[in-house]
Amino acid sequence: MVQDARVQRFVSSYEALRSEVRKVIVGHDDVIGSVLIGLFAGGHVLLEGAPGLGKTLLIRTLAEGLDLSFSRIQFTPDLMPADIVGTNIIVEDAEGRKYFEFQHGPIFAHILLADEVNRATPKTQSALLEGMQEGSVTVGGATRPLPAPFFVLATQNPIEMEGTYPLPEAQLDRFLFKARVRYPAIEELNAIIDRTTQSSHAEISRVIDGKAVLEFRELVREVPVADHVRDLVSLIVMATHPEWERAPEETRKFVRYGASPRGAQAMVLGAKVRALAEGRYNVSVDDIKALAASALRHRIILNFEGEAEGIDTDRIVGRVVESAEQTSVRAKEVFLR
Amino acid sequence: MADPVALERLVRQVAGEVRLRRAEYYGLRGMFYGALAAVAFLALKAALGAAAPFLAVAAVLVGLAVGVGVGLGLATPRGDLARLADRACGLEDRVATALEWIGRPHRPPLVDALIQDAAERVERLRVQGLVGRRSPREARLLPVPILAALVLAVMPALTIPSGTLPGLSGAAEQQAEPERAQSTPVATEAQNKTEPVKPVGAIDERDIVRTSGTGRSEARDRPALFKDTALNGQRPDFNRFLQKGDDRLRLLDQTNKLPDLESDYTRTEYKTVARQANELATGRKPEQMSEDKLKDVLEQLRKMGEKSGAESEQLAEQGLRALREGQQEKALDKMNHALNAERQSDDNRKGALNLQGGRRGDTARQSPDGGESRQQAAVEQDEPGAAKGKLPGTGPGPQPKGDPTSRLNAQGVETSLEGDRKDGAKDSLDLNMYGSAASVPSRSQYVGAFEQYRKMMEDAIAREQVPRDYQTQVKEYFRALGER
Repeated sequence: MVQDARVQRFVSSYEALRSEVRKVIVGHDDVIGSVLIGLFAGGHVLLEGAPGLGKTLLIRTLAEGLDLSFSRIQFTPDLMPADIVGTNIIVEDAEGRKYFEFQHGPIFAHILLADEVNRATPKTQSALLEGMQEGSVTVGGATRPLPAPFFVLATQNPIEMEGTYPLPEAQLDRFLFKARVRYPAIEELNAIIDRTTQSSHAEISRVIDGKAVLEFRELVREVPVADHVRDLVSLIVMATHPEWERAPEETRKFVRYGASPRGAQAMVLGAKVRALAEGRYNVSVDDIKALAASALRHRIILNFEGEAEGIDTDRIVGRVVESAEQTSVRAKEVFLR
Repeated sequence: MADPVALERLVRQVAGEVRLRRAEYYGLRGMFYGALAAVAFLALKAALGAAAPFLAVAAVLVGLAVGVGVGLGLATPRGDLARLADRACGLEDRVATALEWIGRPHRPPLVDALIQDAAERVERLRVQGLVGRRSPREARLLPVPILAALVLAVMPALTIPSGTLPGLSGAAEQQAEPERAQSTPVATEAQNKTEPVKPVGAIDERDIVRTSGTGRSEARDRPALFKDTALNGQRPDFNRFLQKGDDRLRLLDQTNKLPDLESDYTRTEYKTVARQANELATGRKPEQMSEDKLKDVLEQLRKMGEKSGAESEQLAEQGLRALREGQQEKALDKMNHALNAERQSDDNRKGALNLQGGRRGDTARQSPDGGESRQQAAVEQDEPGAAKGKLPGTGPGPQPKGDPTSRLNAQGVETSLEGDRKDGAKDSLDLNMYGSAASVPSRSQYVGAFEQYRKMMEDAIAREQVPRDYQTQVKEYFRALGER
């Protein structure tokens, strides 16, 4: 029961794009959801998973479903910043005069796939920083805007740590979500085998263009959020900080540094997209709870004890959400329930 | 603009249900406490008379009324009610968000759509029983006071006990006695006239003659003296108790009868060395002893001898010389002699300073042969060679072969000892002991395990698995283990 035409269009576009992606990708509904939410919320998404689970394929399929330019950078240790953002090269015109001309790097695309982003050096990784945050890059003293919408999808492999450079916290914070690509279930594995070992290939249609994406991004920001939902978000973010007086025990014990305000923005923006995608005009508490792990797992820095104990940040986030919910909503409704 | 009437109506309905549930909740609580008051009123039926049942019923009703009033009067914020409606109806925070944004001046277009969407959903709902019933803990306990009140209502009135405290002085007891006699219906008048109150413990023959509850004399019933009834009329004599406490305090002034704390809790230099020597010599042959430790003990004895001027200095010098010549047996013998000399010197010094303490002095005074008592005390303090006659071959004693050692567990008859003076330069005895072996745990397992771990230690150090800073400590640890 959708009242607003824009919302109706958003819902149909969202469902269409998801259907296109699911023509190729088997399972991984939560990862597909995170990527689509990131796209419409205006953020970037980091996909983490073992090799062969379809991270790159998912992003390529998504790019095919969008009528947008796409480029892929395979990050390697010898990749340089100029290889990403571009550089000034000497060009000779027909009259033999030489002049500098900016050669655009692969970052100048609507959708950028940064494959195995943790294999490049921190210097090269940081070349993405300005583009991800500001939507522009500065080369040779000139700031050049990136095409809009600009959407970075990065992948990294968590198990091959040798020869990698873990992303610094500042870079991680630029990603709206970090999605974990898990191993498929046996039914999904069977479907993957069937789809990938037969001669037929799925045809992906372009269902959304860049203009629509930008319109949807504006629409997302109109979705109202109730005060108690906003308060819950603030409490969740605060509860990730060990020095906060009401932080849960797990946070105090295992966390060195909690989530930044970008974590709260990610949760609210993501929740708005999720609400619209379900045909709802408001953000609910369940939206926040559903997206808390994706928005916060890469923003919580464990301390030595947490690293040594092998604590999963998802466990910390789960406890933090539970604690925040008890503090806010449930405490107020203690008799009413 | 969308019409929020349905949302307001839903919130009002939820508010009404909340008030009702709260009235039930607090009403049950109030009824419980009212029932407790009713029990109290009925327990005081004797004092309150015919008004008690009415008061009890009134207490229950008042408690119920107050609870219901509190429940109805409690206010609930509108936002909480809206959230409750959202949760109860599965509206995913639509109502709460819509009602919150409805009054905001600058609202995006989506808010109108939200209000309309929420209102239409609410219209389709069948709103009933949104708020679940909650019963307080007192509701489960409510039958207890109700039943108690009913029982008390049908029972006769309870008697009220007097709440006076017993007096602490004999005068107060004597003063209180006539009052007690008056309030005790079973007491006889003869007892009131003739029996002054006696302190506990001062029972004489006359106490046997007591009157029972029926007023009949039972002079022939002597066991009745030990029954509780004989002491029933008496009170504890606190004055006597205090006097005994004063006597005990006076005893503390007699310091010569106090335990010898100096002797028990201080360690002289001699005792320290004697303990080391004892640990060194126990259970080992001379060639198994640590040469370094033996040398340490002899050095300490020599220094003590220097200070005290005792013969132990020369004996320790001789022992050290023997040790340098590789005669450990002789060195050990000299060490024992030096210890004896030092012990004698220590005893003399204590006697001169009058530091032997009351307990040891008392023991010596009470015993016909004070020397033996002192030897016994020395044995208790683990002084080697101190208890002559108590160990086999150590001098005169009640048994010609000496008392059995504790290790042999009092089987002295199975042990015999003979000695021959060795010819030549050695100034020592060859001792041969005959007897059945003692039942002690074998050390072979320990030795085997120790050798195994010692090799592992050497291997670990050779492979540099042990940090360099700790290698010396590890070696020292194993060396100390090996010497045992």
